[in-house]
Amino acid sequence: MTDLSLRQAGAEAPRTGPSLARMPRLWRNLRGSLLAPASIAMALVVWQIASSTVFDPFLVPPPTAVAKAAWPMIVSGEILHDVTISMTRVLVGFIAGSALAIVVGVLIGRIQILHDLFDPIIELLRYLSPTAMIPIAVIWFGIGEMSKYFLIFWGTFFIVLVNTVVGVWRTPAARQRAAECLGASRLEIFLLIVIPSATPFIVTGMRVAMASSFMSIIPAEILAADSGIGYLLQKSSMLLQTDKIFVALITISTLGFLTDRVFRIAVKRMLSRFMLADAGAH
Amino acid sequence: MLEVRDVRKTYGEAADGYVALDGISVDIRPGEFFCLLGPSGCGKSTLLNIIAGFEKVSSGAVSFDGEVVNRAGRDRMMFFQDAGSALLPWLTVEENIRFALRVRRVPKERWGEIVTNHLRMVDLDAHREKLPSQLSGGMRQRLQIARALAVEPRVLLMDEPFAALDAMTRRRMHAQLLEIWQRTGQTIVFVTHDIAEAIALADRIAIMSVGPRSTFLRVIDVDVPRPREMSGAFYAETFGEIEQLLTPEIRRSEARLG
Ligand SMILES: Nc1ncnc2c1ncn2[C@@H]1O[C@H](COP(=O)(O)OP(=O)(O)OP(=O)(O)O)[C@@H](O)[C@H]1O
Ligand SMILES: [Mg+2]
Repeated sequence: MTDLSLRQAGAEAPRTGPSLARMPRLWRNLRGSLLAPASIAMALVVWQIASSTVFDPFLVPPPTAVAKAAWPMIVSGEILHDVTISMTRVLVGFIAGSALAIVVGVLIGRIQILHDLFDPIIELLRYLSPTAMIPIAVIWFGIGEMSKYFLIFWGTFFIVLVNTVVGVWRTPAARQRAAECLGASRLEIFLLIVIPSATPFIVTGMRVAMASSFMSIIPAEILAADSGIGYLLQKSSMLLQTDKIFVALITISTLGFLTDRVFRIAVKRMLSRFMLADAGAH
Repeated sequence: MLEVRDVRKTYGEAADGYVALDGISVDIRPGEFFCLLGPSGCGKSTLLNIIAGFEKVSSGAVSFDGEVVNRAGRDRMMFFQDAGSALLPWLTVEENIRFALRVRRVPKERWGEIVTNHLRMVDLDAHREKLPSQLSGGMRQRLQIARALAVEPRVLLMDEPFAALDAMTRRRMHAQLLEIWQRTGQTIVFVTHDIAEAIALADRIAIMSVGPRSTFLRVIDVDVPRPREMSGAFYAETFGEIEQLLTPEIRRSEARLG
């Protein structure tokens, strides 16, 4: 668990790119809110033209056709129904996986003997992606909700666990020693120093796990479900309804994007102070 | 009284480990300003961490007021060079000090007064609500001083506390530290590799030889009232004496490194 992959870097990378400082104020304020829609609009236009010229519109239905297919699905509540089902699965698995991973992670990170005992197993198990676990999950839990909860849990658990352990390890020694001199008990050091110090790492792990949950729910629902967005994808494919497939794909990406935004806002609201990994770093 | 008795420290296995300290003995008097001076890697931090109780001796012993030191204690407060990692970045200036009082079990009624006094002492009163990341390097060190003093330790252990500061700020910190020390009568063990800093501050300076098997080459008394003029004759004299001791040491370590 000593090697850090890029995603465990803990804090967000500094933004690079042209300096905003020299731009006129109005443009600076509007820039973010204008460019994102513009980017999407541009993609839609290119897609529309490409679908009606280069590609066969049956294989690549243009945005207008996708919208036409989406509308009745929205009105009838079919989409909302599938979204609710998939979201619930993701959230249940994600929350359970994160919670257990944080508890186990701080213990493993703190207690050497637990680390020595569990690290080899974790190092092996974390290479089993949720997709690899689908067949056995179906046998263990059937195609009901439990198998999806389990698969999302599985994917979340190891990502958050590894990040939590690293976060605990990265707690500056000086911070713990200073607290020791001040007279803090072991429990106080654990609760008031180690856990807050590990928070940025835990949050980063959770964000990565959230994104990965949205990726793994789809194969899980394609292979082992009779509801949800993944099932909609599967069903549309069997019926050769490419327009509905695109509706499903857009729904997934929008859902993942929005959830990540909500997560970021929540973190900013509640944990922003803890996200300053090190006061020394400007 | 802080007694260091024939302290030896070996890192790694006894047979083929690295002998960092080889028989160090000194009595540090109550209220004394004691400097540990030596080239990089000679074992200053090692000795300080042993006195603090963070590191174990391989043989010998450190005792404080007759009690053997074997873990961190509330009467000995370590002060770190990297204030950024020693402070709690998620707490404001004021909360950082309150944290110290809380874990020290100081009665809550007294917090307000202690916080105000100590922040005034280091000129941070106007910055109570700021987070450590919003302070300059010198301000962070001052906050660390205020936090350390707020719990009234009897010994302050300082490991190159001002090494990362610019010369001007460092001078100011020296004056402030001396002023606080003279007022509180605390014992200070101060690590530095800056000869001038040691002469400016210390009652006694222990000169350490390069490792492995580092020992005290000599302990020099600096019997000159403060504030000390950098241009004084004693200054050049002491500086020369220390340099004479250290130059062959540094040459020796360079020769070994090839
Ligand atoms: N945990 C450790 N394991 C092995 N060797 C160590 C350890 N800590 C220190 N040493 C070695 O002990 C010697 C003394 O280290 P120490 O950090 O005490 O030096 P120092 O005098 O504080 O140096 P500097 O001025 O650079 O801070 C060094 O050679 C170092 O490599
Ligand atoms: Mg050192």
